[in-house]
Amino acid sequence: MAETQQMKKFKTPSKGTPRAKHPISLDHHIAPQTPQSATPSAINLRRSHRLTAATPEHRPALSSFNTPKSAAKTRKICEDPPSILPTETSINPASPPPVESRKKRKFQEKSAEKRKDSRNVKCKRAADRKVKKKVYHKKVVYDGGEFSAGHDVYVKRRSDASSDDEDPEVEECRVCFKPAGRRVLIECDDCLNGFHLKCLKPPLKAVPDGDWVCCYCVARKNGEVMEFPEPQAGKKRARTAREKLLSSDLWAARIESLWKEVDGTYWFRARWYIIPEETAVGRQPHNLRRELYRTNDFADVEMESTIRHCFVMSPREFANAADGGDDVFLCEYEYEVQWHSFKRIAEIDSNENDGEKVVDNDADWNSCDESDSGSDFNSEEEAAYENEKRNRLSQSSSLRPVAANSRKGQIFGLQKIGAKKIPENLRSRKQTDLEKAKSTLLLATVPKSLTCRDREMNEITTFIKGAICDEQCLGRCLYVHGVPGTGKTMSVLAVMRNLKSEVDAGSIRPYCFVEINGLKLASPENIYSVIYEGLTGHRVGWKKALNLLNARFSDENKCRKDTRPCILLIDELDLLVTRNQAVLYNILDWPTRPNSKLIVIGIANTMDLPEKLLPRISSRMGIQRLCFGPYNFQQLQEIISSRLKGIDAFEKVAIEFASRKVAAVSGDARRALEICRRAAEVADYRAKKTALSSSDASGKTFLLTGKVMAGMADVEAAIKEMFQAPHIQVIRSCSKLSKIFLAAMVYELYKTGIGETTFEKLAMVVSSFCANNGETFPGYDTLLKVGCKLGECRLLLCEPGTRHKLQKLQLNYPNDDVTFALKDSKDLPWLAKYI
Amino acid sequence: MPAFAALRQFPSSDPTSEAIVAVTPRKTRLISDSDAAIGSPLRKSPRFCKEGTPHSSPTANIRKCLKTSLNLSGSPQKKQLSEDFVERQNWNPRDETQRRAVNEALHVSTAQTNVVCRENEQNRILDFCKKCIKEEKAGSLYVCGCPGTGKTLSMEKVKAMLADWANEECIQYPDVLPINCTSLANMNDIFSKILEQNHSGKRRSHSTSSLQQLQNLYSQQTPGMKMILVIADELDYLITRDRAVLHDLFMLTTLPFSKCILLGVANAIDLADRFIPKLRSLNGKHMVITFCAYSKDQIINILQERLRALPYTVFQPQALELCARKVAAASGDMRKALAVCRNAIEILIGDSMLSSLDGTEDQQKSAENVSMSNQVRIDHVAAALSKVYKSPVVDTIISLPQHQQIILCSVVKLFRGGKKKDTTLGELNKYYVDVCKSTSIPPVGILELSSMCRVLDDQGILKLGQSRDDKLRRVTLKVDGADIVFALQGVRFFRNCLQ
Repeated sequence: MAETQQMKKFKTPSKGTPRAKHPISLDHHIAPQTPQSATPSAINLRRSHRLTAATPEHRPALSSFNTPKSAAKTRKICEDPPSILPTETSINPASPPPVESRKKRKFQEKSAEKRKDSRNVKCKRAADRKVKKKVYHKKVVYDGGEFSAGHDVYVKRRSDASSDDEDPEVEECRVCFKPAGRRVLIECDDCLNGFHLKCLKPPLKAVPDGDWVCCYCVARKNGEVMEFPEPQAGKKRARTAREKLLSSDLWAARIESLWKEVDGTYWFRARWYIIPEETAVGRQPHNLRRELYRTNDFADVEMESTIRHCFVMSPREFANAADGGDDVFLCEYEYEVQWHSFKRIAEIDSNENDGEKVVDNDADWNSCDESDSGSDFNSEEEAAYENEKRNRLSQSSSLRPVAANSRKGQIFGLQKIGAKKIPENLRSRKQTDLEKAKSTLLLATVPKSLTCRDREMNEITTFIKGAICDEQCLGRCLYVHGVPGTGKTMSVLAVMRNLKSEVDAGSIRPYCFVEINGLKLASPENIYSVIYEGLTGHRVGWKKALNLLNARFSDENKCRKDTRPCILLIDELDLLVTRNQAVLYNILDWPTRPNSKLIVIGIANTMDLPEKLLPRISSRMGIQRLCFGPYNFQQLQEIISSRLKGIDAFEKVAIEFASRKVAAVSGDARRALEICRRAAEVADYRAKKTALSSSDASGKTFLLTGKVMAGMADVEAAIKEMFQAPHIQVIRSCSKLSKIFLAAMVYELYKTGIGETTFEKLAMVVSSFCANNGETFPGYDTLLKVGCKLGECRLLLCEPGTRHKLQKLQLNYPNDDVTFALKDSKDLPWLAKYI
Repeated sequence: MPAFAALRQFPSSDPTSEAIVAVTPRKTRLISDSDAAIGSPLRKSPRFCKEGTPHSSPTANIRKCLKTSLNLSGSPQKKQLSEDFVERQNWNPRDETQRRAVNEALHVSTAQTNVVCRENEQNRILDFCKKCIKEEKAGSLYVCGCPGTGKTLSMEKVKAMLADWANEECIQYPDVLPINCTSLANMNDIFSKILEQNHSGKRRSHSTSSLQQLQNLYSQQTPGMKMILVIADELDYLITRDRAVLHDLFMLTTLPFSKCILLGVANAIDLADRFIPKLRSLNGKHMVITFCAYSKDQIINILQERLRALPYTVFQPQALELCARKVAAASGDMRKALAVCRNAIEILIGDSMLSSLDGTEDQQKSAENVSMSNQVRIDHVAAALSKVYKSPVVDTIISLPQHQQIILCSVVKLFRGGKKKDTTLGELNKYYVDVCKSTSIPPVGILELSSMCRVLDDQGILKLGQSRDDKLRRVTLKVDGADIVFALQGVRFFRNCLQ
């Protein structure tokens, strides 16, 4: 048995390597903004080692387990002598997915190079073979320890690391290097080292209440140098598992599920914990020494690589476990490895299902799942499913560089609901120019280059650079204002993108950038917590965040760890104006403090916002202003044609027409783009219609005429659709009787010259209309109903229908509009003579 | 009586300057609109000087107009300053470190070692504190003044001076608790902060509020309690509806065994009188110290002081004076003055970058002139000032889309004759449609019109009132009608329309 274990261990590395060449994992290397790529080598190393983590020799028995500190824990020592063969305590064949045999896996390992895409072959082979199944267990007694889903364990990081040879069980005194024995070890709350009470100077009589910090840590805090005593020469200090974990030589993982492979080896699905140092923000001052973060990163690990139990607890449990032993850790937050975000773990945590949900967008897991668990598919459907999943994953990784900016939520959401990419081969039809134009004219499409705002962008760039390039970053404010749709936010973000690339190139110092939209805040005060979260990654209430930010931006003596300058972009600044304007005061006061290193860029529509504020705030705001004027028609034309570069879909005059129309009213680039997009849609629709009609008659003519370009008429139609008020369309599309009703209303109002009329009078007019033009008069009740309907859609203003004949009626829109809408109605040509 | 002095000084300098600043630059800007922006400030600068100093003597004006005449200085202080400048070496704006040093010296956050021009006020505050500490008596002092007049800075200074004095006299230095009231999440937090400071977390009973605990503490004799100096910045944020917090805070100092010295800082002159009238009857000798707005001499002084540490000349004295005069005339806000100076430096740097790009022979030619070109001149300061104080209304109107201009045109027509001051959106729509029809321009719908009016409201040209119904929103003009006429007269259509 030991023989096979050994064999397996030696084989596994070869199994891991071909996987590394897989396109997916390559994607990870390329994609610059995936969290993995921050430390690509480390992560990959970690992954591959996890698969191979197995000790060469028999692991030490769990007998040396008499340290008083860890004795209190729930770990059970098996009555039986520790055996390699695990005892199955319960068998649960509830949902065993089919699994190929061990033999086949070996075959795969050998022919790993040949297996380029031999998925089909493999599947066939698996189908031929009689199906063996993976058996899931609730509880497994393995190597003397009893493991079940939900337990936390230490996992070895390297199979050959010498540090793992040491006995990780016994904690030694840090001074005399003797194990605790019967004497009590006391643990320092800072460095977590254990000390015999009598080894301390001065020796302690009893374990003190409350926090206790050893004399070494006290000395270090006071700035003195006080070395720990060195162990005797030739003898290495044994490190406990806890120490190794916290110095990232071991891992901790939570067992999500356990199963027995067909070859008899035991595996479990691990949900990794990471130490604060391994997160994107690093260890923060508020992190406890024993704090871990639970990740959404999963892997399948062989039971062999586990060491023993550790105990990861929620804060409440942690507080109660006063002398829980050395292997107790605190976990309060979940860490999202993709987005580097933290989430507080709910008190009632459904630990079974919650993992599986996240799995879907976890590229890591998928690749290692396939590489090592051997849970391959045995049918075509499964292969297809797997392929599909792969597709989705590759899509996600290709999307990520875009996603990391601002739209991460959206993409995450799409994947969550199971949206998937349509394979390229299905899109055999080539997009026409009009379709391309439609997609490039979408507001959500980020243009490759921003035209017409060069001067403003230069100004923003010099402003930011001037602020952050100095060693001593001096705080300042910039107020950007302009009418909607003139590219304010887009210009600032484009500048920030350029700066980001410069940071990556190393020409300017790194900074942190926090972007806030005032509209997205639940209340103005919430901005404090959003800023704080943006800076540190921790979510706190706004009152606490205010205090922390005040401390951060004002305290000059305390040398902060994070000395990067901070750029704060606040969109819709005017929404932060509260009754006493304290929020704005605070935000604009920070840059005037020494050493704040804060740069505030505020964006709003209002030009005279600073003048409307309290003088003390406008005084702090400074004089840096930047105005984005409305676009004139040349600029709009340039914007549209720069977006349509290379796409021959619009006549030049059509673009000019659209931009002139918009420039005359608002100069809003969004609107111009919308009009052009709508025009392209209209033209596309027209083209398809002609194609359909001409295809039966003469397919050739269409082919000859070829392309349909969006012309003046399409733009005109689009503008009409957008600029024409909706009520005219409503009137045009309403029923015959309503039209007569409205016409009678206009007629009556014109005749009497008063603003309102009663239903009785109106009914008279309607009946005379009908009598004169050969329509049947519908009767009072129906007419009243029609009146109420028109009142409901607010074309009329009317009193409740219970007044019946005395109901007063009034037109909600000017007479001219109604007249205009009714003038050329086809079904009632005689209406025109009354209005 | 400095308070009265401030009052007298304020109205005399303020309205005139306001009028000048608001109207004149706008006009000049318009005339010179066609030619480049670089040319205009130079031409304008003499006018700026004349208008900026309504109270200065004519001789001083002449002196300023001749910007090259360094020796023709009027006041003795000026002479000394200019001599001071001549001795120094030149500043090179292209040198990174020098530029940084200047920027740092002129930044708001850089606290000076000695705060000039506020010695009088500082001494009064200091004397008050000293007296209180010596007599171990509580007291309250209210400091008021416009934004940017060095109140908070002086408080820091007083704190330091008090510490020195306590060291010298071997008197126990009181606990100092500086609080910025805007950073309080809850107004009552101020009491718990004071309480915390008082006995650093020794015993906290949660049954009574911190205010009651403080009141108990101060109403009975407790030996060996330290004095506490509370500096409450932006005191007016403590004004609640019933004014209880502010009242209780000041009442703390009137308790028999109170050890609390309260220094309140805010903008309003009469905050104490307005909101805590009861206090007045309790202790009549309530002190108010007013920080009046800086005069131009003070601003020059402070700027000089900031630049003195640098081994080179950055500003021409006239440039500094122009900046000081303009700022003093408008608000006397030191932050503004510093911002203008920094901006002027940026303009100079931009110019020098341009000239260095232009060619080298130009540089060689002006080698003898380099000492002048490397200093911030009047025109740089004037350009920076025009950024702050110019009113961009006419420019804005000219660059508006046509339909918005038509709206403004119809508003002006509507209000012509002075019989009407405001109208509703519905009425405006009628007028607007009439104007459009008269020239056969297709009008936009009322929804579009109201959104355009909102844009104009954002630009500060119209004012839209609040109403549930869109049609009934009040529309008033926020700028002078003459400005609109002036801006639109370039277009024949509007000229015809407005006649």
